[in-house]
Amino acid sequence: MTQILFKNINLEGLATLPVYEGQGGYRSLEIAFKKQPEEVVEMVKASGLRGRGGAGFPAGLKWSFLAKDVFPRYLCCNADESEPGTCKDRELLLKNPHLLIEGMILCSYACRIQTGYIYFRGEFYDLAQIMEKALDEARRKGYLGKNIMGSGFDLDIHTHLGAGAYICGEESALLNSLEGRRGEPRMKPPFPAVEGLYAKPTVINNVETLCCVPWIISEGPEKYAAIGTEKSKGTKLVSVSGHVKKPGNYEVVLGTPTREIIYDLAGGIRDDNKLKAFIPGGSSVPMLPAELVDTPYDYEALQAAGSMLGSGALIVIDHTMNVVEATHRLMSFYMHESCGKCTPCREGTRWLWQILSRIMKGQSEGDPISKLNDICDNMSFKCFCPLGDAAIAPVVSGIKHFRADYEEFLQNAATGAAG
Amino acid sequence: MANEPVTLTIDDKTVTVPKGTKVVDAAKTVGIEIPVFCYHEKLGPFGCCRMCLVEVEKMPKMATACTLDVGPGMVVRTNTEKVEKAQKGVLEFTLLNHPLDCPVCDKGGECPLQDNTFKFGAPETRMEFDRAHNLKAAPLSPVITLDRERCIACQRCTRYSDIIEDERALVMHNRGFKNEIGTFNNEPYATRFSGNVIDICPVGALTNTQFRFKARTWDLANSDTLCSHCGVNCNMTMGTRTNKLLRIQSRPNDRVDDGWICDKARWGYDFLESKNRMGMNKSRLSGDWKALTPKEAAVHVAEAFKKIADEHGPESVGFIGSAYGTNEELYLYQKLFRQGLGSNNIDHKTHPGSPGLPIAHHDLQDIETSDLVLLLASDPAEELPILELRLKKVAKRGGVKLAVLGDQSTSMDRYAEWSGRYNVGAAAAVCEALAAELAGSGAGADLAGRAGLDGEQIKTLADLIRGSQKVTLIYNPVPLSAAAHGQLSRLMTAMGQIGEISCGAIPAAPGTNAVGALDMGVLPDYYPGGMPLAGGAEAIQAAWGENTPTAPGLSAMQMIEQAEQGRLKALLIHRANPLADFPGGKRLAAALKKLDVLVVHDIMQTETSRLANVVLISNGPGYDEGTTTNIGGRVQLRKGGLKTANAPDWKLVSMMIRALDENAPEYAASFGVTAEIAEKVPGYSDISKKSIKKEGQTRTQPPVAQGAVESPSEQATAGGLRLRIAHRLFAQDAILDPSSQLSHQFQASTATLNEADASRLGIANGDPVVITAGGGEVRAQAEVSNRVNPGGVVVPRVSDEQDLMTLAAEDAAAVDVKKA
Repeated sequence: MTQILFKNINLEGLATLPVYEGQGGYRSLEIAFKKQPEEVVEMVKASGLRGRGGAGFPAGLKWSFLAKDVFPRYLCCNADESEPGTCKDRELLLKNPHLLIEGMILCSYACRIQTGYIYFRGEFYDLAQIMEKALDEARRKGYLGKNIMGSGFDLDIHTHLGAGAYICGEESALLNSLEGRRGEPRMKPPFPAVEGLYAKPTVINNVETLCCVPWIISEGPEKYAAIGTEKSKGTKLVSVSGHVKKPGNYEVVLGTPTREIIYDLAGGIRDDNKLKAFIPGGSSVPMLPAELVDTPYDYEALQAAGSMLGSGALIVIDHTMNVVEATHRLMSFYMHESCGKCTPCREGTRWLWQILSRIMKGQSEGDPISKLNDICDNMSFKCFCPLGDAAIAPVVSGIKHFRADYEEFLQNAATGAAG
Repeated sequence: MANEPVTLTIDDKTVTVPKGTKVVDAAKTVGIEIPVFCYHEKLGPFGCCRMCLVEVEKMPKMATACTLDVGPGMVVRTNTEKVEKAQKGVLEFTLLNHPLDCPVCDKGGECPLQDNTFKFGAPETRMEFDRAHNLKAAPLSPVITLDRERCIACQRCTRYSDIIEDERALVMHNRGFKNEIGTFNNEPYATRFSGNVIDICPVGALTNTQFRFKARTWDLANSDTLCSHCGVNCNMTMGTRTNKLLRIQSRPNDRVDDGWICDKARWGYDFLESKNRMGMNKSRLSGDWKALTPKEAAVHVAEAFKKIADEHGPESVGFIGSAYGTNEELYLYQKLFRQGLGSNNIDHKTHPGSPGLPIAHHDLQDIETSDLVLLLASDPAEELPILELRLKKVAKRGGVKLAVLGDQSTSMDRYAEWSGRYNVGAAAAVCEALAAELAGSGAGADLAGRAGLDGEQIKTLADLIRGSQKVTLIYNPVPLSAAAHGQLSRLMTAMGQIGEISCGAIPAAPGTNAVGALDMGVLPDYYPGGMPLAGGAEAIQAAWGENTPTAPGLSAMQMIEQAEQGRLKALLIHRANPLADFPGGKRLAAALKKLDVLVVHDIMQTETSRLANVVLISNGPGYDEGTTTNIGGRVQLRKGGLKTANAPDWKLVSMMIRALDENAPEYAASFGVTAEIAEKVPGYSDISKKSIKKEGQTRTQPPVAQGAVESPSEQATAGGLRLRIAHRLFAQDAILDPSSQLSHQFQASTATLNEADASRLGIANGDPVVITAGGGEVRAQAEVSNRVNPGGVVVPRVSDEQDLMTLAAEDAAAVDVKKA
């Protein structure tokens, strides 16, 4: 299996500079610095690399959108990995911090950026410490600072810890938080590429996205583009969780059948239970029923199947679990994490949670399923940011594919069996 | 360009609006209402309430009309089935946990949430759970109470605090369903402009503590009136019921207040019911106190003055008015003294300054189109608060540079492109330096040095002025010496002589009608309309009749001196309190006691009125109507709202005039006087009930007096520190007494002095100090900082009891500061 990000991930001492350099670390810089910044952007474009944070937007294209001739510009690495089920960035940050630094240097050079920030979720305190150490090593070795490797290019990178809010993974809320403001999404337009951090052009990329860049520069974009499917290039880290025997992070070539990830890499369903459902891309994407387990794990195929690749967190649910319970748990998360800025998300998540709670208590009256669907419709694409749409995904997909689970509770209520 | 027109269609109606207009505002222009909660035109787009969702062709999702810029050829629909469902859905969410206590809510009847629900909401809710409960009465400050249950988290108030006040004092706390508005560390939200959040709150969450549960809004009688506290003359609405003022709200007029009022405007009205108001018209001229009807009082006063003028000559009577009277009151009083009694002993102030500017008199809106605003000797935050908001706005928006030139650093400094601090009392030298620099005489740097600025600084400022297209000079005339006035006039002339630049000035005195008082000729040496006695008797007699006096009269301070010497026998004081406000303060009592007749016509009983042998009731703001002229030269109508049996001031004065001349006109209403002003006062010919109705009307500025500007040099100080008395917005006086709702804003007496002086005098920051001069003594707490240059001390006037004016001389005084 092709391994790009995880090739040597468990090598002892990889987080230190000498070991990282021994593995060929920072070599891509020599290649990049011989090129014009624009050529580096073109290489990333040609590789077909797409954002690994959730939206899957082509990375090179994003870099080329920066407002022309406006400086300073900033790079913000989104290390706010908060999507339920997702823990891939954590492993990269823990074990291979220099890979991210190298990727950020390449991106900054390509985009003529001289200041980079790594925005860690508040709980990543230890990882931020590790990163500080790595940044220090890189500075001492001249990979950061003035005139890096004689290229005339200057860059420094700073870490910043959030205060523990899911919404700060949304790029504009991240910028607000980084500026010391309340973590709430900003109006778009202006997009960050035009007015981002401190109202200057800003690139915001996920940890995994930036970590892919050194390989693309070293090995060539063609080689990267040869991996994966026609539109989903390269490999993807998948965080497999839930009812599997071997939960964990796996690097897969995009287009690998989901079945292989669940059954071969993650060892199959716990206790050899029956697969009931899976959420392919983190809790914010619609869940899919077991019948669709052969869907290739890539952006297009998952979308065609009615879901999304998202952040690459594959949550597996076996037949012992009622989907209403899973949905209720997720809704409690979204209710807790809604920033409260917009009305439908702030009020809707709580109302949905109240209704789901009542269904589970067997106290519902009338037709709560239609009501849930209609409330979701009133939230759908009407919220300020994608959090509201994420919150309704498990409800809408759960009702669509597992209506029987809801009816089970409702029938119990009718017969007085639940409590 | 920003004004490039864009054409689009909204519900099949074609709309053409300037580029950058939001769809919600474009719809308004063709009578289409798109409902909003969070959007407010002064705050800009935010998009959080989601009430304004519309469909736009070629856009996959519905868009919020408040955040969406119009685009050419855009096709917007606000009334499709999809939009209506979205509106119902959003309203259902908004109302989900709203308490619906409309029957007792202060906002009831004028509530956007009620109105939008009525127009766009579903007939019923599907909410099956108990509504969330929260605090019903959380005090944000002594004057604002927050009902947390009613808050719909639209963030108008927090954005107001961020964008308009630039304080970020009110913020959102917590997250999601638990978010709520609050302040850092739960401290009171007590800015100078906090009350505006009540007006912009689209629900009944932010309530006026005083007005809570007092009345249903539809039972209020609302008068469109003006604030009478400062020279901006902000527009406001006074809500009354059963002849009681219950609340004050802003009444946006972009030409004056930009939509906001300060907290003194909103809550500084307790004087209306103060126990210290004048009880009745009364006289003790013939022994014991005797109550008088208005008519009796008018005749009594007129006859008493006439008698003295006949016996001792017209120079033995005098009038001291104030910058707080209306144009009508001031006009009639000068008419009484000039035409009725033949005296020019008429004045209204103790600082120098005369009508007319050598350059254009700028309106407040000119600030927005200037590219440089030069603030001189002015502290808008304390003197003219709403002006501060407009200056912050333009400085933050960009395009308008701010230069701040003062003897003390102020809150405006951080918005300034350029700021310089001159020595206390050195305004004349600094004006002279800048004028010289602008005129290219080469003497600027040297002169600036004498004022405590360095030469390079004054050069940079001159370059800033020269490099601008349009400059507005804002200055406070009150603290400036006669020498400074003379040099300021030269500076303005020098500015006006720079080619290609449009220059104007705003004389930003704190007094409500300071400009009007000058225009109405309440001056010993100028007739109304800035007509100078120095210009010759013929012109004056042609305009005002052969018998009108043409010899210069006494200034206010001269009148008091003459009273002391027994030469001035009768003095009428209207709405002024020399014992508290004039240099010398209480020490002037001896002079006033020597008068045969002292008539005080005022709203409140004051130190001065207690010496009077005739007192007349002035109803003042809230009761009487009249026009005032703001610092931008805009004449507006201040309506009454409360009723009283007392005669309005204008009526009382017109009865005095008629007592002396039965052929004098009898006015049916104050507008009769306004019409006479329009006829008689040059510059006011366009002012009429109709022309000022909507947004007011600027009067034509009076001509500047011809002849050389007199420019005495500033006195050198022998020993001690130069004192400047600073104005405080929330000062404890007859208007804001200790029982005021705003008493939490009162400050302690402080004295700001430079570190160098403090260490020489052995004074540390926070030490109690005693300031003495000329027999006066004031206690204060030392504020040792570098906000003032060495050699100066700035003491804000925080209360009448402070007795600060006992330290003051007519020109800047030298004082001794010692550790107490």
